[in-house]
Amino acid sequence: MLSWLRRIKETRRRVLVEDALKYLHKCDWEGTASTTASVGEALGVSPSKAQLLWQQLQAQGLVEISGDHLHITPLGESLALQVIRAHRLWEKYLVDEARVPLADVHAMADRREHNRNPEAMSVLDASMGYPATDPHGDPIPTAEGVLSQTDSVPLTHWAIDRPARIVHLEDEPVAIFAQIVAAGVYLGQRIKVIESTPKRIVFTDHQETYVLAPIVAGNVFLVASEPMGREAPLPRLTTLELGASAKVQGLDGTLQGYTRRRLLDLGLTKGAQITAEYRSFLGDPVAYRVRGSLIALRQDQAQHVLISTNENQEQNHV
Amino acid sequence: MSECGSCSACPSSSQLDRMGLDVGKYDYVVALAGNPNTGKSSVFNALTGLRQHTGNWPGKTVTRAQGGYKFNGHRYKLVDLPGTYSLLSAAQDEEIARNFILFGRPDCTVVVTDATCLERNLNLALQVLEISSRVVVCVNLMDEAKRKGIQIDARALGRDLGVPIVLTSARTGDGLDALLVAIEQVVTGKVELHPHRVLRDGPFQRAVAELVPMVEEVAPGLPNARWVAMRLLDGDHRVRQALLSGELTEIASAQKVYEEKIPMTIAQGGRE
Amino acid sequence: MSEPTNPVDALLDRAQDLRQTLGGNFRDELVEAIYTDAQAIADRASVKSDSGRLDFDQRIDRLLTAPMLGLPLMLLMLGGVFWLTIAGANVPSQMLMSGLFWVEGAGSRLFEHLGAPWWLTGFVWHGVYRALAWVIAVMLPPMAIFFPMFTMLEDLGYLPRVAFNLDRLFSKAGAHGKQVLTMSMGFGCNAAGVIACRTIDSPRERLIAILTNNFVPCNGRWPTLILLATVFIAAAFPPEVASVAAAGSVAMVAVIGVLFTLVLSAILSRTVLKGTPSAFTLELPPYRRPSVVRILYTSLIDRTMFVLWRAIVFSAPAGGLIWLLANITISGHSLAFYLTDWLDPLGHAIGLDGVIVLAFFIAIPANEIVVPTILMLYLGNTMMTEELSSSSSWRSLFVGEHDWTLLTAVNLMLFSLLHNPCSTTIYTMWKETGSAKWTAFGALMPLAVGLVVTFTIAQVWYLFT
Repeated sequence: MLSWLRRIKETRRRVLVEDALKYLHKCDWEGTASTTASVGEALGVSPSKAQLLWQQLQAQGLVEISGDHLHITPLGESLALQVIRAHRLWEKYLVDEARVPLADVHAMADRREHNRNPEAMSVLDASMGYPATDPHGDPIPTAEGVLSQTDSVPLTHWAIDRPARIVHLEDEPVAIFAQIVAAGVYLGQRIKVIESTPKRIVFTDHQETYVLAPIVAGNVFLVASEPMGREAPLPRLTTLELGASAKVQGLDGTLQGYTRRRLLDLGLTKGAQITAEYRSFLGDPVAYRVRGSLIALRQDQAQHVLISTNENQEQNHV
Repeated sequence: MSECGSCSACPSSSQLDRMGLDVGKYDYVVALAGNPNTGKSSVFNALTGLRQHTGNWPGKTVTRAQGGYKFNGHRYKLVDLPGTYSLLSAAQDEEIARNFILFGRPDCTVVVTDATCLERNLNLALQVLEISSRVVVCVNLMDEAKRKGIQIDARALGRDLGVPIVLTSARTGDGLDALLVAIEQVVTGKVELHPHRVLRDGPFQRAVAELVPMVEEVAPGLPNARWVAMRLLDGDHRVRQALLSGELTEIASAQKVYEEKIPMTIAQGGRE
Repeated sequence: MSEPTNPVDALLDRAQDLRQTLGGNFRDELVEAIYTDAQAIADRASVKSDSGRLDFDQRIDRLLTAPMLGLPLMLLMLGGVFWLTIAGANVPSQMLMSGLFWVEGAGSRLFEHLGAPWWLTGFVWHGVYRALAWVIAVMLPPMAIFFPMFTMLEDLGYLPRVAFNLDRLFSKAGAHGKQVLTMSMGFGCNAAGVIACRTIDSPRERLIAILTNNFVPCNGRWPTLILLATVFIAAAFPPEVASVAAAGSVAMVAVIGVLFTLVLSAILSRTVLKGTPSAFTLELPPYRRPSVVRILYTSLIDRTMFVLWRAIVFSAPAGGLIWLLANITISGHSLAFYLTDWLDPLGHAIGLDGVIVLAFFIAIPANEIVVPTILMLYLGNTMMTEELSSSSSWRSLFVGEHDWTLLTAVNLMLFSLLHNPCSTTIYTMWKETGSAKWTAFGALMPLAVGLVVTFTIAQVWYLFT
């Protein structure tokens, strides 16, 4: 019983240490100064407790304190990166494989990140094909603790008509992030800004047009991308009428992880002929004939399949 | 209706001796792979005399089943792998199938395909051909195909895939004798195999091409260096581990022994 | 990073570097390349003679998924299977029962004749044998009818169509469409249903399917439902439609089970197992002509005999135990009396009685023995012979001697639908989930639901009577 209590206490202390290091790393990364007061406040600990924490961190060689400024040491940095690696890998796993809603994963990963071992993390990493970024577009540190950095620009500062790719969606504050997700904006999406005023930002991915408030758009980060070839939006599989056929043009970017792999494996690759055969009497799913077999897809999956019907195929040839 | 339970309908009943679960000693290991619902279990049951249930819904075989048969004096262990659409994902059933084809080192892998839906089924067959060259493609459900007016040109298919093709209807027993012969020819090395390999030009294939010599350096003689390179690029933990632990090198040297000693193994008989 | 020294490390490092340069979509390109080849090869190798008309499968599927026709056809199919089972099993069951109980009488008389002590006769014939005889007589005929029919629908390829048609309900509940298939397996045996959940590839939905599988009545529970439907519900109808009414009420219990599956799945997927439904990619296989030999073999040997054997293994010791409970007396009363007396308040609160509650405890290893236990506890050491082979004699025993009401019948049917899974299913859950926590949850959650439901109904009933 006593050892159990001790273990709980130890875990709690470790979590605090790791959170502190994570925060210091973030300040370092963003180039903001961190003082004992600001970090203590961010972690939500009392000044007296914080004092103890600094002493412990210093004794372990994880931080250096000069005056009331905190500096993370290389040792502390590498520990912080391990925690961040665990956090982002879990986020990636939860979204792509366990299909947890994007808005919920941050909190879940926060709990899981402290309970990790390097071997399990590398298995997780490998099982997802060594992803480079988490679902928000943040780079995932490698097992060796290498964190690659990309220079991205907020959507609010992007020039009109310049082709761009979304590389990062800031997940804090949660309320703003929820709005980004709700708008249907996703990572890797290639866009073009149409209108940028202090009131609103309008952009398009040539499929749909999005309108965001600047406070929301400021949390969407872009890099330059090559211009998109196709200008006309592609219809989605959901628009295919029963009995009609079309050619699959690909799967859209929001579909990731297990679902994407499964649809590819079933033959929903570019160029496949697809026919909508019949609908369940409750309205959903629809059975599609593709590559000789009959496959039922729910509409929320079918809408990620881009198709070209015979008419717009002809247009492409002309 | 001729059912395979009755002995008259059995193919080669003179040479085929079903051993059921009794697979103590065997000369060759044969793996059965295939898409779900292709009658893989029917083939398994017809050859081993076992009666593993085969319901008509995808994904019935969720574990590996084993059985045995004796043909022309050789004992075969038959392993029924879970039905999968692909070997690329990390799903549990696909991993079982993939690992067995690669690390279980079967002497022959039979890919059971559905004649009525060949295109989808060839996806898996082509993936198996990347891993192993000792493959027989069994085009099953020919009775269904006939009913639907589908004809299969086995010679054209054989030319394209570069491995023996057998047309069967496992439920009625048609073509199973030819399947037994084809398996025998592959395990004894009596047939030349030129497995089809998927080649495309693109950054991915260029990356594969760059890695292949490095894989061959680590595991000389590995029959599927290209596939290993692809898996490494895709981030396959199990393959990575097999490289680190030397398991792949071992497979490579076993392959060499196999190629040199084919006539010997035939003479030797049981190996366990 | 240090310079790699051996070729394996060099290879792995290079692979890692190259992966970074390729970007995320090379899996798409790879699969696309394979399929392009597959398509070309398949085109060269297969010729489809164009028949011009819709093929057989398509016509059947159009019919089964038609908005107005699909649902009634499906219900008709389900109801038909139940009706054939109930109507067909009635006569052989009664014949088996009178035959086997005649053997009990003869056997015990033989023992008496040979001068065996009364407790030996009682233990062997009125304990162990009686439980066995009951289980065989009540379970064998319906199973021998139900399983072949179920296996035929399965072999035909109809089950995936049911999954296809009902998927919307399951997707609303945050569950996987294939749960229909695992649920159908559960109608046969919940342990088999739990194993079948392996075919659901998303871990979250697989767990939901495992935890809720027990809400469909398994084969061990059909006899209880069928008996009660015959004794209480069919009796309220004229004889010509009695079996249809009984089948209807059993089908209704099955539908209630499906509703509970949906409701509990929805609750689970919105609370402890939160997440969006994952990929639902159900292949609808072509219809296949079922092969009669295989259906009979599978359903009779693999399923019927398997389930029956399990029931026999569990019912023999249970029969002995019940006999001991009923015949070991302390200060004038049997152990069973004390236990049922102690359980009576709980039984009354949920509209049952102490004997029934005790029977559910004894039946944890196998649900099949609920009714025989009740019967043996009611009858004690007395003989049960031919007079119990008609439904009116059942009525007089239950209603006349033990004060059963319609409430008892309804709540017993509901409670046998909604209670803890049998020990085999619990063990299977543990093996499949690998988690003691989820196993405990899966065992206790249905029990809690059952207690709440029966308690509510009982209290409402008491309020109005």
